[in-house]
Amino acid sequence: MASTGKAVRPRVAVAKFASCDGCQLTILDLEEHLLEIVSRFDIVEFPEATSRHSPGPYDVVFVEGSISAPDHLDQIKALRKQARLLVTIGACATAGGIQALRNWADHDAFRATVYEHPDWIESLSTATPVSDHVKVDAELRGCPIDPGQLLELMTAVIVGRRPQIRDEAVCRECKRRGIVCMVVATGQACMGPVTTSGCNALCPSYGRGCYGCFGPRSAANARSWSADLLRSGRPPEEVWRLFAGFTAYAEPSRAVLTELGKTKP
Amino acid sequence: MIANPAPSPTAARQWFLARSDLDALIQALRKSGRTVIGPTVRDGAIVNDEIASASDLPSGIRDEQAAGRYRLADRSDERVFGYTVGPTPWKRFTFPPNLEISTAHMSGGFGFEEPHIVVPELAFLGVRACEIAALAMQDRVFLGSPFTDEDFRARRKAALIVAVQCTTSSSTCFCSSMGTGPEVRSGYDILLTEIDDGFVVQAGSPVGAAIVAQVPTRRPTHAETGAAVDVVEAVRTQIGEPLPIAGIDQRLQHQLDNPRWALVGERCVECGNCTMSCPTCFCTAVTERSDMEGKSSVTERMWDSCFDVNFAKVAGGDFRARPRDRYRQWLTHKFSTWMDQFGSFGCVGCGRCITWCPVRIDVREELLAIAPIIQPIERPVAVEPVAASPGDFSIARLASVREETDDTTTLSLTDLDPAFLAGRPGQFVMVALPAFPAVPISISRFHATGIDLTIRAVGATSTALVNLHPGAKVGVRGPLGTFWPIEDAYGRHAVVVAGGVGLSPLHGLVEALVANRDRFESVSLYYGSRTPEDQLFRDDLVAWSAGKAIDVAVTVDRAGPEWKGRVGVVTTLFDMMACDCSRITAFVVGPERMMQASVQSLISKGVPPERIYVSMERHMECGIGLCGHCQTGPYFVCKDGPVFSLSELGDLYVREGI
Repeated sequence: MASTGKAVRPRVAVAKFASCDGCQLTILDLEEHLLEIVSRFDIVEFPEATSRHSPGPYDVVFVEGSISAPDHLDQIKALRKQARLLVTIGACATAGGIQALRNWADHDAFRATVYEHPDWIESLSTATPVSDHVKVDAELRGCPIDPGQLLELMTAVIVGRRPQIRDEAVCRECKRRGIVCMVVATGQACMGPVTTSGCNALCPSYGRGCYGCFGPRSAANARSWSADLLRSGRPPEEVWRLFAGFTAYAEPSRAVLTELGKTKP
Repeated sequence: MIANPAPSPTAARQWFLARSDLDALIQALRKSGRTVIGPTVRDGAIVNDEIASASDLPSGIRDEQAAGRYRLADRSDERVFGYTVGPTPWKRFTFPPNLEISTAHMSGGFGFEEPHIVVPELAFLGVRACEIAALAMQDRVFLGSPFTDEDFRARRKAALIVAVQCTTSSSTCFCSSMGTGPEVRSGYDILLTEIDDGFVVQAGSPVGAAIVAQVPTRRPTHAETGAAVDVVEAVRTQIGEPLPIAGIDQRLQHQLDNPRWALVGERCVECGNCTMSCPTCFCTAVTERSDMEGKSSVTERMWDSCFDVNFAKVAGGDFRARPRDRYRQWLTHKFSTWMDQFGSFGCVGCGRCITWCPVRIDVREELLAIAPIIQPIERPVAVEPVAASPGDFSIARLASVREETDDTTTLSLTDLDPAFLAGRPGQFVMVALPAFPAVPISISRFHATGIDLTIRAVGATSTALVNLHPGAKVGVRGPLGTFWPIEDAYGRHAVVVAGGVGLSPLHGLVEALVANRDRFESVSLYYGSRTPEDQLFRDDLVAWSAGKAIDVAVTVDRAGPEWKGRVGVVTTLFDMMACDCSRITAFVVGPERMMQASVQSLISKGVPPERIYVSMERHMECGIGLCGHCQTGPYFVCKDGPVFSLSELGDLYVREGI
């Protein structure tokens, strides 16, 4: 979609499903770039920013949130039909999010515990990523997404090229930044070796092991990493919790959890 | 600063710098306009970062390193360099992890611009021997071809090297194996060796000498210069025996199909920390940062890793799709193909890839498991054969003839030259009769007065030989070839595997094993023949078996109802091996197919290939390496064999058509 001037600004919609709106906020957090963005994109639908609605079709649809309620099933399919490019943003939309932990649990029991009238609650027994339901053209990982990656994706849409989003471990960013590996130097648990980069090693730069919110990278050797965490003396429950974060339902974390918990989601 | 090699330490001028005056050196470096980069403690490790004064240095601190583990601990003294290499390779400052390499302007025309290279003047404080070697390796990579990296050149030139001799080592250190340390010998501007109260200082360049001249020093005492030498020598001892690295570049190329690649590929998480921490790894990725206005775009280069899943990908697919492929690429580049490209190994033995591997893969273990050095078994030298030219034979007398089976006969020769009696089991003789071509026959037994040849009548000469009568004269040349290295089985389980007439060249060996039974953990004979009637040396088999000194197991391919023993190929007997197979030394002779099957079975049981010996049968006309018929790969079987270890033969043994 090469840019030919401001007259043909791509029509952009932002949609949300089961999510906390943090990724939508990341769009608004691109403060210094917002004027440039609105001069290049026609943002016609954005629940976090405006009550204005505008029907499709859209050139780009950013989708936040996981598919967690019966209504979502039809909504996402309808949205797909209206979208030239459908981009999922954040751990919920790309991996099911933290709420996908219910995929391993008893949905009815959860509902009964939390709500006084569980029968009033319409929700699916699973929370699943958007890509389980419709074709996704691009995804931005993270909880929340990284503003730099978002800007890169938007720039790529304007320039008409692939977004330059690397499929490498968080460890690479730690090493480029000169952050001392806390796994080796302090024995802290860290999901960096199996997690996709993109955050510029945010948590490790504050001395905290990676939570894995960007999800497993495509070649993640989650099996070896979980085996090594166990071998270093961590109890299986702790290893389970390390993998059972924001992107638990994404493979190969899902397989590791299934193996550790001896249960299928 | 790319310094000239320093003169030898004994010849060079030396100074003594008190530890309390180290800060004067740091300030002199700073005063010369340089930012000092040196060791300092941050986040539980000794990293290389900007140093303002000597108080930033890790005083009284040591490190403990192992695969996947790094910890700091207190020293009992005040030394400031009393540790080994930390997580920061110096390449960070000569080859930055992120670097803008060009800018493209798209408004008002179109063009690419290279940035004007501006680099900081730096002083590297605390560079170790392995790290100096690493800088030199990157010199060859970035500056050694017609295509050069000018940013690297500028940074390298602007860096003054203050080297430090290692006074301790970590379990991960293997510089002495790679030939890069522990001694710093060249490549520095200033060299410090830390001893009890300070440093013995040497200058390796005029710039270094000028800096040292600004620092309060005195002439060192003999005790101090002696201590400076001893402390480095002690580190070499501490590191221990070097690994058998010599020739590993070649050995690795023969191990590209080793199953270990898959095993390490399953462990490796491909985080790339080994390559990022490596002081010589130089691969980069290039990314574009364009602005939304479409006016300009910046090209940035960043440290990349061959463990990256996209590293070898093209539109049509991935050349190194599996983790094992990527691990093999890394290891073979470091230890083999780097040699072809840059004339050295790509590893300096700093051990960072071991320490900083989160899943504790030790490159040394992988390397030696994948490409082990084969220790050649030293064999005693064979005696000079009698009659060592193609036309020359000495004459022996046939003492007796004994039929072993329908088609196999043992001839006892006597009146031999004493040299024949000094031969050893496994050797053979060339036997000739007038008008008959000479044939190679293995010696099946050594007597006090002669030798036995056990011959199967298959051709004209062998048929003529078995039809001789006692008293006949026979032409012999020998004893020839290599023999069974019985010494290699001392203290181990000796296993003899024979098939059919193959027991003949092994018969003398079994007798020797029986005679020296105490020297072996155990002795076993596995013997297979076509039928019970085809068994050779039946009386001996019974006697060995009855003596219980050795275990004898026999099997036949087929037998009548009167046969009460095992039926089946000889490898079916191997189930009886109850011992630790890595402690077996095996001797194997038989028909080609039986030998192949036996050898494969032994290897799969864990018998080391260098301890499996076979005797090869090949066409021979002379027996002394002149006729060329028996050539197999690099060997003439007659004089380099017929007894070979499997590791000597390598692929030759299993490859068709050699």
